[in-house]
Amino acid sequence: MSIADSRNPALGAAGTTTTSRKLRAFDIGGLILTLITLVFAILWAFPIYWGVITSLKPESQVISKTVEFLPRTWTIEAYWEVFANTMIGRWYVNSLVTSLGVTAITLVTSALTAYALSQLRFPGRTVLWYLILASFMVPLTALIVNHFILMAQLSLINTWMGVILPQLIHPVVIIVYKNFFDSVPKEYREAAKMDSASEWRIFSRIYLPMNWGVTTALAIVTFIGAWNAFLWPFLAVSKPEMMNVAVGITQVNDAFGVHYARELAAAILAALLVAVLYLIFQRRVTQAIMLSAGVKG
Amino acid sequence: MIRDQRREWVAAYLLILPFVLIYGVLFLWPTVQMVYLSFTDAPLIGPGKWIGIENYVEMFDDRRFWTSVRNTGYFVALTVIPNTLIGLAIAMMVSRLKGWQQSVILAMFFLPYILPVSVVYRIWNWMFDLQFGIMQHPIALILGKPTPVFRTQWLFMPSVAFVTIWWTCGFNILLFLSGLRSISTDIYEAAALDNASRWTIFRRITWPLIWPVTALVLTIQLILQLKIFDQVYLFVQGGRPDPSMVMVQYIYSQAFQKNEGGYAAAISVALFVIVIVVSLLQFQFLRARGEK
Amino acid sequence: MKNLFKIAMLSTVALLSVGGVQAKEDVVWWDFLSGGDGVRMKALIEQFNTEHADTIEIQPTTLEWGTPFYTKVQTSAAIGEGPDVMTYHLSRVPLGVQSGALAEISTTDLAGVGLGPDTFAPANWEAGQSDGKQYAVPFDIHSIILYYNKDKLAEAGLLGADGLPTGLDGADNFTAALEKLKGGSEYALSLQTSGDGTPWRVFYSLFGQQDGVFLGDDGTFFPDESIPKAVKAVETMAGWVSGGYAPALTEYEGSVALFTSGAAAFHINGVWEVPTMTDLAAKGELGFEWGAIAIPTFFDHPATWADSHGFAIPNNVGKEMTPEKKAAVLEVISWMNKNSLAWASAGHIPAYTPTRESEAFKTMQPNATYSILADTAVFDPKSTLAGVASPVYDAVANYISPAMNGELEPQAAIEEMKADLQDQAD
Repeated sequence: MSIADSRNPALGAAGTTTTSRKLRAFDIGGLILTLITLVFAILWAFPIYWGVITSLKPESQVISKTVEFLPRTWTIEAYWEVFANTMIGRWYVNSLVTSLGVTAITLVTSALTAYALSQLRFPGRTVLWYLILASFMVPLTALIVNHFILMAQLSLINTWMGVILPQLIHPVVIIVYKNFFDSVPKEYREAAKMDSASEWRIFSRIYLPMNWGVTTALAIVTFIGAWNAFLWPFLAVSKPEMMNVAVGITQVNDAFGVHYARELAAAILAALLVAVLYLIFQRRVTQAIMLSAGVKG
Repeated sequence: MIRDQRREWVAAYLLILPFVLIYGVLFLWPTVQMVYLSFTDAPLIGPGKWIGIENYVEMFDDRRFWTSVRNTGYFVALTVIPNTLIGLAIAMMVSRLKGWQQSVILAMFFLPYILPVSVVYRIWNWMFDLQFGIMQHPIALILGKPTPVFRTQWLFMPSVAFVTIWWTCGFNILLFLSGLRSISTDIYEAAALDNASRWTIFRRITWPLIWPVTALVLTIQLILQLKIFDQVYLFVQGGRPDPSMVMVQYIYSQAFQKNEGGYAAAISVALFVIVIVVSLLQFQFLRARGEK
Repeated sequence: MKNLFKIAMLSTVALLSVGGVQAKEDVVWWDFLSGGDGVRMKALIEQFNTEHADTIEIQPTTLEWGTPFYTKVQTSAAIGEGPDVMTYHLSRVPLGVQSGALAEISTTDLAGVGLGPDTFAPANWEAGQSDGKQYAVPFDIHSIILYYNKDKLAEAGLLGADGLPTGLDGADNFTAALEKLKGGSEYALSLQTSGDGTPWRVFYSLFGQQDGVFLGDDGTFFPDESIPKAVKAVETMAGWVSGGYAPALTEYEGSVALFTSGAAAFHINGVWEVPTMTDLAAKGELGFEWGAIAIPTFFDHPATWADSHGFAIPNNVGKEMTPEKKAAVLEVISWMNKNSLAWASAGHIPAYTPTRESEAFKTMQPNATYSILADTAVFDPKSTLAGVASPVYDAVANYISPAMNGELEPQAAIEEMKADLQDQAD
């Protein structure tokens, strides 16, 4: 598990790799590289741009054989059609509730467990730790059949809980938390112990507040993961009104046949929330992913 | 002192209780059940009778099962290493930039990663649309005529792999970027003073120093891509289901379409074993390389 | 005794609803009808809800046609989460019954709302049965037809004195006609050439025109001399693609778009696309005059694939239907059939005999033009492997479509298909 332990990434540090500044001024090769980077980045992002632009065209211009990089006529008609003919609002609520549920429950249970593993000594500690490490390798996807049976036995199919529960196994979150709790100086805990503070108090007043950054980072990563989850929400829900937005747009027909702009408008709407959040909190998200994965090794 | 220890135990058990419950009920229990189910002829919902290893015998004789194993392997081969190398290349390109330029360029590369798979599917289905897709222009240049890539058998998996790399590469880019940032600039400056070429710098400095991250990315990618389902399921709709079947899809189809819970569980066990064996092997291999 | 009780309950319910005491009953409805079909059904449901404003409300949802729909139905029913009523292909009734997804509908109950063997064509009524029990009530008979672009056919001299296409019968004549049309448009013929659906319907029609047997009485697929007949059907279809008359590897939606945009002179598709054409023409967006006729006779005699939409009640395990709910569902099924003239405007042939034999339907266009269908229909083989979203449909996507596109030899395709299906049957 410790492939990457040897390195110590300056996480989130602003220092970018600069080759020699002195050389840079005369560096034609560098300029070309920058240009290539730019062109490549534009090509990379183009499909998203193209999807957005297409959704803003009238259907008749969508099926034009000539390539038009901007709509001749701008229209949000496709979006109105999506709102009028699908349950996208309802799907959004489902996605929000289940993703927040997954995030909240995962973080709380993982933080508590990580604290116990990191700071307390108790029989079974080592076994638990190895079980968590081992489950990192196990493909949860292989459990879909039995998750479905279990959720059906608990009558949780077509409920928010049924979507949430099988998504709660995130060993990585515990591993990351534990690493951070491990690095909190022992003096804090000992001082608190002197004041005969309870473990809960130590956890909630010292360890958690000292690691808010980690919590935010893990919350972001877990939320994005849950928002984008497809397979399990797809299996756990058969009633259209309980679907998540990522599932709903592929499973339910709007009864008016296939229209490219409308399909793309639905897709853009499905992606919108997380995309906007990302663009606003770009730095945070970037750090969050580096953090969660960086320690993962 | 003993009382103190007791209290610590109680506290610890209370703290881990919620997780242990979740872990037991939603991970250990279903895993045990999966193995049990694989020895029965049960439908998806409802009881079945014990039939010993019959499902496994059938599985070894099942053409579709082997197709799904082969396709999963093929997909892994098409994605894991390219996705890692492209991630490294882009990370190196991005790491040269500074400040807002880096933010903007990074965002352009990273944005696909935060899209739900169904959105990725919609966007690329439109890009590759036979009649109106913009990708048909380059495709016509390369292949001579407009081609429906998700309907042409030999192009199916490579196309899905291509889209997958586009979608998930952002994650790798970030990992490599954080790795590159941790390489001391002094080393590069020393190399630059020696007038070393870019390629030499990469081969002698960057590659060895970034190797731990590369190993990490490879491991994550491998475990992730073995579980491929979403993209294949979405893109194959309306095409030829069998030749491009992957393992999770076969589990899904047996359990939820053919109502063969027991058999689906047997395939699940096979996937389970494959993933564990492969990740252990790779772990050993990478460690060996890393220590060299 | 139990039945008597049921009837007593039902009549009480009926009495109550007359008195207007009964609370409004919600009926959860799932269908797979999109396109022009969907529009017509939506209108019917709205009309139903208006007429039953105080008693019953249908809550409709449209899911993806085919495998996604039937997968959802099956898993939902197994855990009691299915709808109250749903549309169902009669071709799939044996498979649906075998997988336990369908609940029996008592014929006594049906008779109570005026539906029974005498209100449907016998074969149609029986298609909803399995082991003598009724599991689905027919709603329509639908088939495939040949849509044509009048302007293009006139140009190519393929219109007869009566204004209808002429000289299309016989495989060679049809190809000759395609050749004539080739210059005037992008494609002479557009049809779905990927996946299941159209490839199955066309194959089964051409196969039926040669009296091919898909599934023998002894459970053999393609028995005796049926293999060469099947190969001939596939070769004919592959010839359209390889001859450049029809587009390769084209999706359903794309094939419709090719015709409606004027890029193809002929279009083979289900009657359910009739409203698409009607609506486009009414809005003046079609840009040409269109018509539709029965599928030409390529081989020995006329024959066209046909299937039926019906209504079925999922076998929601562990969820007993209340008598009130059941009465409401029966009312929905009965009302839909009695108002199926509106559904006929979606191109279908109504299953309900009084509607089918009404003057209004007999003169309805273009349905009247292809009314011969009713007599020449060949229905899907009655097997638990057949029907929409069945192993047979999968096999079409895996073997026949690739053969159409030249990715498999027709002979090999049929042999592999036979082996595959036989394997799944045992």
